[in-house]
Amino acid sequence: MDPGLLAQHAFNGLMLGVIYALVAVGFTLFFGVLDVIKFSHGDVVMLGAFTALAVSAGLTGAGVMSHPLVLLAMLVIAITLMAVVGALLARLLVLPLRGAPAINVLLITLMAGTVIREGVRLFYPQGSNPKPFPRLLPGGTIEIGSFTLRHDSAILFVIGVAAIVGVYLTLARTRLGLAIRAVAQDPETAAAMGIPLTATVLATFAIGSALAALAGVVNGLYYSEISFNLGLLLGAIGFSAAVVGGLGNVYGAILGGFLFAALQTIGAVALPFASAYKDVFAFAAVIVLMALRPAGLLAERSAERI
Amino acid sequence: MVTGMKLEVRDLTVAYDRADVLMSVSLEASGGEITCLLGANGAGKSTLARAVLGLTVARAGTVLLDGEDVTREPTHRIVARGVGVIPEGRRVFPKLTVAENLHTGAYLVRDRSRVSARFDEVCELFPRLRERLTQLAGTLSGGEQAMLSIGRGLMGSPRLLIIDEPSLGLSPRFVKENFQAIRRVRETGVTVLLVEQNVHQTLAIAQRGYVLSGGRVSAAGTAEELKQHPELIAAYFGGH
Repeated sequence: MDPGLLAQHAFNGLMLGVIYALVAVGFTLFFGVLDVIKFSHGDVVMLGAFTALAVSAGLTGAGVMSHPLVLLAMLVIAITLMAVVGALLARLLVLPLRGAPAINVLLITLMAGTVIREGVRLFYPQGSNPKPFPRLLPGGTIEIGSFTLRHDSAILFVIGVAAIVGVYLTLARTRLGLAIRAVAQDPETAAAMGIPLTATVLATFAIGSALAALAGVVNGLYYSEISFNLGLLLGAIGFSAAVVGGLGNVYGAILGGFLFAALQTIGAVALPFASAYKDVFAFAAVIVLMALRPAGLLAERSAERI
Repeated sequence: MVTGMKLEVRDLTVAYDRADVLMSVSLEASGGEITCLLGANGAGKSTLARAVLGLTVARAGTVLLDGEDVTREPTHRIVARGVGVIPEGRRVFPKLTVAENLHTGAYLVRDRSRVSARFDEVCELFPRLRERLTQLAGTLSGGEQAMLSIGRGLMGSPRLLIIDEPSLGLSPRFVKENFQAIRRVRETGVTVLLVEQNVHQTLAIAQRGYVLSGGRVSAAGTAEELKQHPELIAAYFGGH
């Protein structure tokens, strides 16, 4: 294959990998601190994207034309609001079910996701239709042979990677990160060391949901279109990525995100009949991986979480 | 020197597990003393330690720290009053490094210079920990994990230290070393509540003690008094 085209596919794969990793890290953080699967996570991604869209529409309506300003505002507002939404979901739906079977949390968050999804569909103006997402990033390209790198994609890639690195550093180096890791390993002993459990759990859900909002905005800017049900597929992919990597392990989630994107890309390139089957190929490959490594790729290390 | 915290437990009743309950237990521990809590397995010793920390909810009775009722406070608030914990089974965080484990013990101390001073003190107390600061705690030997657990419990400069079964599963040499470390802590003025099954070594370093059996206090007094009751001890510990 032409090396330029190969590079093109590789970059597209990396770009998708960043988005998936951002979603997967949330799943794995929630599982780490509370041993729960929060199935509304994909819909929080979608809600983040729609929040950003609403901010953009509002600012444009108010006559703000500066693209960087609109972009900054949508990022700040979407990320902040989703952090609050994530903490609220944890406070109102997940924490009260502590001690209940994990399946109850799964069910209640699945329903919460449906409420969010249908809420956007019903209450956002013409919410059932796909919405064009504003192109706020510079539109130029860099051509290297047959490889075309769009400026906007490069910027999105850098933003996504920076967020992943930021979360990693927060977990590895800060007081909050220490608290999150301690709670994930042994909540009772963490409390006995003076770490406030509820506050740490809420902070974890806020961080995971902030990442989801970023994933939603990056996704919207990358595809220039969003729809109310985008969280279904992104949620399923993020969850698969987290499980394949080893649920509870942050590195595993990042690895899983990039792996899933690689599988999709390979599916799109290698299956000559139709690239529409790329998701089928990727999910089938995930099923095979799960059969081979039931505890996830980083299972040995993930036994201890995060 | 520090001023030890006064711990008072009044008529504490806990229905926790079918096997492990407390019925109207009262005890006191004060500064500069090691107060031990002896009793056979399942006598309710650990339940008492957990109830004091708010990890197990008391059905009735009160826990007072320096005269203030903390019975319904969440664990991290109780700890914030100046309580250090060395939990049963050591419970180090296996996937945190030794240094990170020590820092969880000082989680509530905001003053960085105080934390690093304390860090150095703990490393001086247990030089083997200093050699292993970047190692994951899960890879330490049992004895080293015990040192780490004690060091972690001291990191917050507690005024009350609750130690649950420090000798459990350790070789006699480590038990001796750990008991010496506990004695040194006591000498700094800290109130120590020592939960143990190991009667002889415990009474050798404790000033006073309580014997729990079947969830009730069956004997109490100074360590000397308890030593004078061999038949009492024999009755509960099968003639050690």
